[in-house]
Amino acid sequence: MIKINNLNFGYRKNQLLFKNMSMQLSTGHIYGLLGKNGAGKSTLLKNIAGLVYADSGSMDVMGYDPSKRQPALLTEICFIPEEFYLPSIKIDAFVKANAAFYPNFDHPYFTALLAEFDIPVTQKLIDMSYGQKKKVIIAFGLATQAKLVIMDEPTNGLDIPSKAQFRKIMASALTEDRCIIISTHQVRDLDNLIDTVIMLDENSVALKASVEEITNRLCFKRVKELDDKVIYAEPSLAGYNAVMQNFHQEDSKLDLELLFNAVLAEKNKLKPIFN
Amino acid sequence: MNNTFNIQRFGLLLKRQWLEFGKIYLITLAVALGVIVTFYSFSLWGYIAETKPFYERALNFREPLFLIFGFLFITVIASNYFAHLGQKPKAIIDLMIPASTFEKFLTGIFFTAILSTVSFIFIFYVTDLAFLAKLRSVYHSSSTRTSYTDAQGAVAIVVDNLAYFFSKNGPHVYKGLYIIPFFVTSIFLLGSIYFNKFHYIKTTISAMVFSGIWTAIIFKSGKLLFDNRTLINRMGNNGPAKDNVELCLALLLVLLTLIFWSITYVRLKEKQV
Repeated sequence: MIKINNLNFGYRKNQLLFKNMSMQLSTGHIYGLLGKNGAGKSTLLKNIAGLVYADSGSMDVMGYDPSKRQPALLTEICFIPEEFYLPSIKIDAFVKANAAFYPNFDHPYFTALLAEFDIPVTQKLIDMSYGQKKKVIIAFGLATQAKLVIMDEPTNGLDIPSKAQFRKIMASALTEDRCIIISTHQVRDLDNLIDTVIMLDENSVALKASVEEITNRLCFKRVKELDDKVIYAEPSLAGYNAVMQNFHQEDSKLDLELLFNAVLAEKNKLKPIFN
Repeated sequence: MNNTFNIQRFGLLLKRQWLEFGKIYLITLAVALGVIVTFYSFSLWGYIAETKPFYERALNFREPLFLIFGFLFITVIASNYFAHLGQKPKAIIDLMIPASTFEKFLTGIFFTAILSTVSFIFIFYVTDLAFLAKLRSVYHSSSTRTSYTDAQGAVAIVVDNLAYFFSKNGPHVYKGLYIIPFFVTSIFLLGSIYFNKFHYIKTTISAMVFSGIWTAIIFKSGKLLFDNRTLINRMGNNGPAKDNVELCLALLLVLLTLIFWSITYVRLKEKQV
């Protein structure tokens, strides 16, 4: 669905954010895009959505060049930005103004999502809290039935019950012809939701692997003492939370936060394991 | 799917813009109507109430009011149209709407050059009609004067002293004036997408600087070309030379308007968030 080839991008000519980045994303997956502040998570999403233009390299989204912003592609992209603006109108007026642009817009689904998120439908959008607005925009985006769903920090501003609702809704929104990319720095919000992890660091993709692949090759467990097998560890109450190479095909649960820190701290040790 | 222009999508875009900005637009129009009515009331109330004798020059405020306030109205609207694209959250929503850049640009032209001009002319026309109709019911609108411009010498002519604004000031003498609102709004529409903040002030200053430089160039080159030379004018002031100058001026305005619109389109196409 998305083919990124030798992408070079920088907000300043002499300071590239991405250097020769290449990646392919396919349908039927929920990708979790992780990275430090300033690693370029939002910028990569904007490149995919055609909101910024690459300095060089090519970007192919469903056979289109996103920088051309063609309506045929835009109807298939649902972009939920971190910062957004909603006009001072009611939800039905907002839907009336925008839904007609999306030929597959599912009105009953939108209503169901609003009910699930517990949104007061008669209230004006401008009078809603940030979290409520975010839920409206997520519900609208999903109801467009767009094939590519891009979400930048979608759980920011959501309360604890809403985060659980969000995970449930996103899991049910994934279909075989849909690709969902979620960028976040709150990795715990994506637990049990994403099936592929993409980590950005130092101008390129530091890790791109499915959860299954990661847990097949790495083992996440609590150890009392550190030894040579431990790739990365963090002290905990009863010893250490450690990442080790999974020599014995042990079953373990992916700890995204630990993996994230491991990738940043021990990139050289992890690289050969995934290559 | 046509990715450049689709009439149905264009209609949807117009509707979307109207649903989002229509209310503010109507409020702005109501304020403009209030200002025009205030000017008319302030200038004509004494005559309507018959507390002072009516003079024809009492209506002379209309031309500057129409020109200055009309200029302000259409330029403020044009200057605000793409202004929100300078704000990241608003720009993302707008750029991701499934319509082509050309359709988004045409919607801008419709709201700034056409709708704002037509609506201003309409409210000015209605206000003028109401006040002048009242004045005409109070005073004799016509008087007889002697004209000496006729070939036969002195001729008595009937003059309407209470002529409606648009019957007196129609651009029938120089049709090139029709392009002026398009030209003016094209400059401010470009300013609205070119600058990220203080669009109106920055566009006004830029326009002043550019027109100043242009005037200086024309003046200097005119001086260089024509200084110490004698002007030969065989046709008088109403000959074909005058028509040619008027035509050239109109074409120049059309050309400049098209250039400003083209730059605006390119800026919109290249807009990044």
